[in-house]
Amino acid sequence: MDRKTILIELKKVLAPYTENKEMLDGINEDTDLIKDLKINSANIVDIIIDAESQYKIEIDFDSAEKMYKVGSCIDVILDKMNQSA
Amino acid sequence: MKSTGNDIVALGSVDKHRTGQYRFYSKILSASEQTLYQQMQFANLPFEHYLWLLWSVKESTFKFLKRSKPELIFSPAKIIIQYLEIPAMQSMTKMDSYQSEFTGNAEEFYRAKVNFGSDILYSRSKISKDWVATVVNDDERFENVYWGIQATDGTDYYHQSKAARSLLLNKINFFFPGDLTIKKSPIGYPVIMQATEDMKIPASLAHHGRFVTYSFILNLFIELGI
Repeated sequence: MDRKTILIELKKVLAPYTENKEMLDGINEDTDLIKDLKINSANIVDIIIDAESQYKIEIDFDSAEKMYKVGSCIDVILDKMNQSA
Repeated sequence: MKSTGNDIVALGSVDKHRTGQYRFYSKILSASEQTLYQQMQFANLPFEHYLWLLWSVKESTFKFLKRSKPELIFSPAKIIIQYLEIPAMQSMTKMDSYQSEFTGNAEEFYRAKVNFGSDILYSRSKISKDWVATVVNDDERFENVYWGIQATDGTDYYHQSKAARSLLLNKINFFFPGDLTIKKSPIGYPVIMQATEDMKIPASLAHHGRFVTYSFILNLFIELGI
Protein backbone atom coordinates (compact mmCIF):
# COMPACT_ATOMS: atom_id res chain seq x y z
CA MET A 1 0.00 0.00 0.00
CA ASP A 2 1.39 3.44 -0.89
CA ARG A 3 1.38 6.67 1.12
CA LYS A 4 -1.20 8.35 -1.13
CA THR A 5 -3.71 5.53 -0.63
CA ILE A 6 -3.25 5.64 3.16
CA LEU A 7 -3.67 9.43 3.15
CA ILE A 8 -7.01 9.09 1.32
CA GLU A 9 -8.14 6.38 3.74
CA LEU A 10 -7.02 8.47 6.73
CA LYS A 11 -9.54 11.15 5.74
CA LYS A 12 -12.32 8.66 6.54
CA VAL A 13 -10.68 7.72 9.86
CA LEU A 14 -10.32 11.40 10.87
CA ALA A 15 -13.75 12.57 9.62
CA PRO A 16 -15.80 11.77 12.77
CA TYR A 17 -13.41 13.80 14.94
CA THR A 18 -13.10 17.10 13.07
CA GLU A 19 -15.63 19.81 12.27
CA ASN A 20 -13.25 21.36 9.76
CA LYS A 21 -14.40 19.38 6.70
CA GLU A 22 -12.85 21.84 4.24
CA MET A 23 -9.43 21.45 5.83
CA LEU A 24 -9.93 17.67 5.97
CA ASP A 25 -10.57 17.57 2.21
CA GLY A 26 -7.24 19.30 1.60
CA ILE A 27 -5.01 17.50 4.11
CA ASN A 28 -1.42 16.73 3.23
CA GLU A 29 1.40 15.02 5.11
CA ASP A 30 2.20 18.23 7.00
CA THR A 31 -1.34 18.68 8.40
CA ASP A 32 -1.34 18.71 12.21
CA LEU A 33 -4.29 16.79 13.71
CA ILE A 34 -4.74 19.13 16.68
CA LYS A 35 -3.50 22.50 15.42
CA ASP A 36 -4.93 22.34 11.87
CA LEU A 37 -7.89 19.96 12.05
CA LYS A 38 -8.80 21.16 15.59
CA ILE A 39 -9.27 17.59 16.75
CA ASN A 40 -9.69 17.41 20.53
CA SER A 41 -6.75 15.65 22.14
CA ALA A 42 -9.21 13.34 23.93
CA ASN A 43 -10.03 11.88 20.48
CA ILE A 44 -6.43 11.04 19.52
CA VAL A 45 -6.71 7.65 21.23
CA ASP A 46 -9.93 7.02 19.25
CA ILE A 47 -8.03 7.72 16.04
CA ILE A 48 -5.21 5.35 17.03
CA ILE A 49 -7.74 2.59 17.82
CA ASP A 50 -9.58 3.21 14.54
CA ALA A 51 -6.28 3.04 12.61
CA GLU A 52 -5.42 -0.22 14.39
CA SER A 53 -8.75 -1.70 13.29
CA GLN A 54 -8.54 -0.37 9.74
CA TYR A 55 -5.06 -1.78 9.09
CA LYS A 56 -5.11 -4.74 11.52
CA ILE A 57 -2.02 -3.48 13.33
CA GLU A 58 -1.06 -2.74 16.94
CA ILE A 59 0.32 0.69 17.78
CA ASP A 60 2.53 0.87 20.89
CA PHE A 61 3.06 3.93 23.16
CA ASP A 62 6.28 5.03 21.47
CA SER A 63 4.69 4.95 18.03
CA ALA A 64 1.41 6.50 19.18
CA GLU A 65 3.15 9.61 20.49
CA LYS A 66 4.50 10.31 16.98
CA MET A 67 1.00 10.44 15.46
CA TYR A 68 0.33 14.17 15.61
CA LYS A 69 0.74 14.92 11.89
CA VAL A 70 -0.80 13.12 8.91
CA GLY A 71 2.64 12.24 7.56
CA SER A 72 3.80 10.72 10.85
CA CYS A 73 0.52 8.74 11.07
CA ILE A 74 1.32 7.29 7.62
CA ASP A 75 4.91 6.50 8.76
CA VAL A 76 3.62 4.57 11.79
CA ILE A 77 0.91 2.72 9.83
CA LEU A 78 3.36 1.64 7.11
CA ASP A 79 5.97 0.63 9.68
CA LYS A 80 3.48 -1.52 11.61
CA MET A 81 2.06 -3.05 8.39
CA ASN A 82 5.58 -4.03 7.33
CA GLN A 83 6.29 -5.55 10.75
CA SER A 84 3.14 -7.68 10.61
CA ALA A 85 3.63 -8.72 6.96
CA MET B 1 9.53 29.27 35.22
CA LYS B 2 5.99 29.66 36.61
CA SER B 3 3.40 27.77 34.65
CA THR B 4 -0.11 26.39 34.83
CA GLY B 5 -2.02 23.67 33.01
CA ASN B 6 -5.64 22.62 32.98
CA ASP B 7 -8.04 20.40 31.08
CA ILE B 8 -11.71 19.45 30.89
CA VAL B 9 -13.47 16.38 29.49
CA ALA B 10 -17.17 16.69 28.63
CA LEU B 11 -18.58 13.30 29.59
CA GLY B 12 -21.35 13.64 26.99
CA SER B 13 -18.74 13.94 24.23
CA VAL B 14 -16.79 10.73 24.89
CA ASP B 15 -17.58 7.21 23.71
CA LYS B 16 -18.67 5.45 26.92
CA HIS B 17 -18.64 2.01 25.34
CA ARG B 18 -15.07 2.41 24.12
CA THR B 19 -13.87 3.80 27.47
CA GLY B 20 -14.35 0.37 29.05
CA GLN B 21 -12.36 -1.50 26.40
CA TYR B 22 -8.89 -2.65 27.44
CA ARG B 23 -7.26 -1.67 24.16
CA PHE B 24 -8.58 1.88 24.66
CA TYR B 25 -7.82 2.49 28.33
CA SER B 26 -4.46 0.69 28.20
CA LYS B 27 -3.24 3.46 25.88
CA ILE B 28 -3.99 6.02 28.59
CA LEU B 29 -3.43 4.27 31.92
CA SER B 30 -0.13 2.73 32.99
CA ALA B 31 -0.18 -0.77 34.53
CA SER B 32 0.16 0.76 38.03
CA GLU B 33 -2.80 3.09 37.37
CA GLN B 34 -4.94 0.17 36.21
CA THR B 35 -4.08 -1.60 39.48
CA LEU B 36 -4.70 1.55 41.54
CA TYR B 37 -8.36 1.56 40.45
CA GLN B 38 -8.91 -1.77 42.23
CA GLN B 39 -8.42 -0.10 45.65
CA MET B 40 -11.46 0.06 47.92
CA GLN B 41 -11.53 3.84 48.06
CA PHE B 42 -12.54 3.96 44.39
CA ALA B 43 -15.41 1.48 44.78
CA ASN B 44 -18.00 4.22 44.16
CA LEU B 45 -16.10 5.91 41.33
CA PRO B 46 -17.30 4.69 37.90
CA PHE B 47 -14.40 3.53 35.73
CA GLU B 48 -15.38 6.05 33.05
CA HIS B 49 -14.88 8.87 35.60
CA TYR B 50 -11.59 7.38 36.81
CA LEU B 51 -10.22 7.11 33.28
CA TRP B 52 -11.12 10.66 32.24
CA LEU B 53 -10.01 12.02 35.60
CA LEU B 54 -6.54 10.57 35.05
CA TRP B 55 -6.60 11.70 31.41
CA SER B 56 -7.34 15.29 32.47
CA VAL B 57 -4.54 15.18 35.06
CA LYS B 58 -2.12 13.92 32.40
CA GLU B 59 -3.19 16.47 29.78
CA SER B 60 -2.95 19.30 32.35
CA THR B 61 0.52 18.09 33.34
CA PHE B 62 1.61 18.07 29.70
CA LYS B 63 0.33 21.64 29.23
CA PHE B 64 2.10 22.80 32.40
CA LEU B 65 5.44 21.30 31.33
CA LYS B 66 5.20 22.23 27.63
CA ARG B 67 5.77 25.89 28.48
CA SER B 68 9.35 25.20 29.60
CA LYS B 69 9.90 22.13 27.38
CA PRO B 70 8.55 23.07 23.93
CA GLU B 71 9.81 19.81 22.42
CA LEU B 72 7.57 17.73 24.74
CA ILE B 73 5.11 15.35 23.04
CA PHE B 74 1.97 14.18 24.82
CA SER B 75 2.20 10.54 25.73
CA PRO B 76 -0.44 9.87 28.41
CA ALA B 77 0.76 6.45 29.55
CA LYS B 78 4.20 7.91 30.35
CA ILE B 79 2.83 10.54 32.74
CA ILE B 80 2.32 8.57 35.93
CA ILE B 81 -0.17 9.26 38.73
CA GLN B 82 1.66 8.37 41.96
CA TYR B 83 -1.34 8.60 44.26
CA LEU B 84 -4.94 9.74 44.03
CA GLU B 85 -7.03 10.91 46.97
CA ILE B 86 -10.79 11.22 46.75
CA PRO B 87 -12.56 14.29 48.16
CA ALA B 88 -13.74 14.10 51.76
CA MET B 89 -16.87 15.96 50.64
CA GLN B 90 -18.21 14.41 47.45
CA SER B 91 -21.05 15.88 45.45
CA MET B 92 -22.22 14.67 42.08
CA THR B 93 -24.76 17.41 41.63
CA LYS B 94 -25.25 19.10 38.30
CA MET B 95 -22.68 21.86 38.16
CA ASP B 96 -22.65 24.13 35.13
CA SER B 97 -20.02 26.46 36.46
CA TYR B 98 -17.30 26.53 39.08
CA GLN B 99 -14.85 29.22 40.08
CA SER B 100 -12.10 29.05 42.63
CA GLU B 101 -9.37 31.33 43.86
CA PHE B 102 -6.37 29.51 45.29
CA THR B 103 -8.56 26.45 44.62
CA GLY B 104 -10.32 26.63 48.00
CA ASN B 105 -10.43 23.83 50.54
CA ALA B 106 -8.18 20.96 49.44
CA GLU B 107 -10.68 18.39 50.70
CA GLU B 108 -13.22 19.42 48.06
CA PHE B 109 -11.06 17.93 45.31
CA TYR B 110 -9.68 14.74 43.86
CA ARG B 111 -5.96 15.27 44.52
CA ALA B 112 -3.10 13.52 42.79
CA LYS B 113 0.68 13.59 42.72
CA VAL B 114 1.98 13.26 39.18
CA ASN B 115 5.38 12.20 37.97
CA PHE B 116 6.89 12.70 34.53
CA GLY B 117 10.61 12.02 34.32
CA SER B 118 12.19 14.16 37.04
CA ASP B 119 9.19 16.53 37.27
CA ILE B 120 6.66 16.21 40.07
CA LEU B 121 3.36 18.09 39.94
CA TYR B 122 0.15 18.13 41.99
CA SER B 123 -3.41 18.16 40.70
CA ARG B 124 -6.82 19.17 41.91
CA SER B 125 -9.88 17.92 40.04
CA LYS B 126 -13.63 18.09 40.19
CA ILE B 127 -16.17 15.71 38.71
CA SER B 128 -19.71 16.81 37.92
CA LYS B 129 -22.48 14.91 36.20
CA ASP B 130 -21.36 16.43 32.90
CA TRP B 131 -17.60 16.96 33.11
CA VAL B 132 -14.26 16.09 34.67
CA ALA B 133 -11.89 19.04 35.11
CA THR B 134 -8.36 19.40 36.46
CA VAL B 135 -5.77 22.04 37.23
CA VAL B 136 -2.13 21.20 38.09
CA ASN B 137 0.54 23.11 39.95
CA ASP B 138 4.13 22.57 41.10
CA ASP B 139 3.21 23.39 44.72
CA GLU B 140 0.51 21.35 46.42
CA ARG B 141 -0.81 24.38 48.34
CA PHE B 142 -2.05 25.89 45.04
CA GLU B 143 -1.42 29.44 46.26
CA ASN B 144 -2.19 32.09 43.64
CA VAL B 145 -3.90 29.58 41.32
CA TYR B 146 -7.19 30.76 39.83
CA TRP B 147 -9.46 28.26 38.12
CA GLY B 148 -12.86 28.53 36.47
CA ILE B 149 -15.27 26.35 34.48
CA GLN B 150 -18.37 27.41 32.62
CA ALA B 151 -21.03 25.92 30.36
CA THR B 152 -21.66 27.67 27.05
CA ASP B 153 -24.46 27.44 24.51
CA GLY B 154 -22.43 26.16 21.56
CA THR B 155 -20.21 23.17 20.92
CA ASP B 156 -18.36 24.08 17.72
CA TYR B 157 -14.60 24.61 18.04
CA TYR B 158 -14.48 28.32 17.20
CA HIS B 159 -17.38 29.24 19.46
CA GLN B 160 -15.79 27.29 22.32
CA SER B 161 -12.35 28.77 21.78
CA LYS B 162 -13.80 32.29 21.85
CA ALA B 163 -15.87 31.52 24.95
CA ALA B 164 -12.83 30.17 26.82
CA ARG B 165 -10.81 33.29 26.01
CA SER B 166 -13.68 35.54 27.05
CA LEU B 167 -14.09 33.70 30.38
CA LEU B 168 -10.37 34.12 31.14
CA LEU B 169 -10.25 37.79 30.15
CA ASN B 170 -13.35 38.63 32.20
CA LYS B 171 -11.70 37.17 35.27
CA ILE B 172 -8.39 38.95 34.73
CA ASN B 173 -10.23 42.21 33.97
CA PHE B 174 -11.54 42.05 37.52
CA PHE B 175 -7.98 42.76 38.70
CA PHE B 176 -6.75 44.74 35.69
CA PRO B 177 -9.53 46.86 34.16
CA GLY B 178 -9.09 47.97 30.57
CA ASP B 179 -8.56 46.43 27.18
CA LEU B 180 -6.83 43.07 27.44
CA THR B 181 -6.27 40.64 24.61
CA ILE B 182 -4.95 37.10 24.22
CA LYS B 183 -2.26 36.07 21.78
CA LYS B 184 -1.14 32.53 21.16
CA SER B 185 2.53 31.75 21.82
CA PRO B 186 4.42 29.77 19.16
CA ILE B 187 4.20 26.76 21.51
CA GLY B 188 0.43 27.18 21.77
CA TYR B 189 -0.27 28.58 25.24
CA PRO B 190 -2.26 31.82 25.74
CA VAL B 191 -0.34 35.06 26.30
CA ILE B 192 -2.33 37.84 28.00
CA MET B 193 -1.55 41.25 26.58
CA GLN B 194 -2.24 44.74 27.91
CA ALA B 195 -1.89 46.90 24.78
CA THR B 196 1.43 45.64 23.36
CA GLU B 197 2.84 44.37 26.65
CA ASP B 198 2.91 40.73 27.75
CA MET B 199 1.41 40.76 31.26
CA LYS B 200 3.49 37.69 32.19
CA ILE B 201 0.48 35.96 33.73
CA PRO B 202 0.84 32.22 33.07
CA ALA B 203 -2.54 30.99 31.79
CA SER B 204 -4.06 27.85 30.32
CA LEU B 205 -7.32 27.30 28.43
CA ALA B 206 -9.30 24.19 27.57
CA HIS B 207 -12.68 23.36 26.11
CA HIS B 208 -14.62 20.22 25.25
CA GLY B 209 -18.26 19.67 24.38
CA ARG B 210 -20.14 22.69 25.70
CA PHE B 211 -17.74 23.41 28.57
CA VAL B 212 -14.85 25.87 28.76
CA THR B 213 -12.25 26.37 31.47
CA TYR B 214 -9.24 28.51 32.38
CA SER B 215 -6.48 28.55 34.95
CA PHE B 216 -3.95 31.26 35.69
CA ILE B 217 -1.36 32.23 38.28
CA LEU B 218 -1.55 35.67 39.84
CA ASN B 219 0.30 36.85 42.93
CA LEU B 220 -1.62 39.96 43.98
CA PHE B 221 1.01 40.85 46.59
CA ILE B 222 3.52 41.32 43.82
CA GLU B 223 1.29 42.46 40.93
CA LEU B 224 -0.88 45.00 42.74
CA GLY B 225 1.19 45.62 45.89
CA ILE B 226 -1.68 44.38 48.12
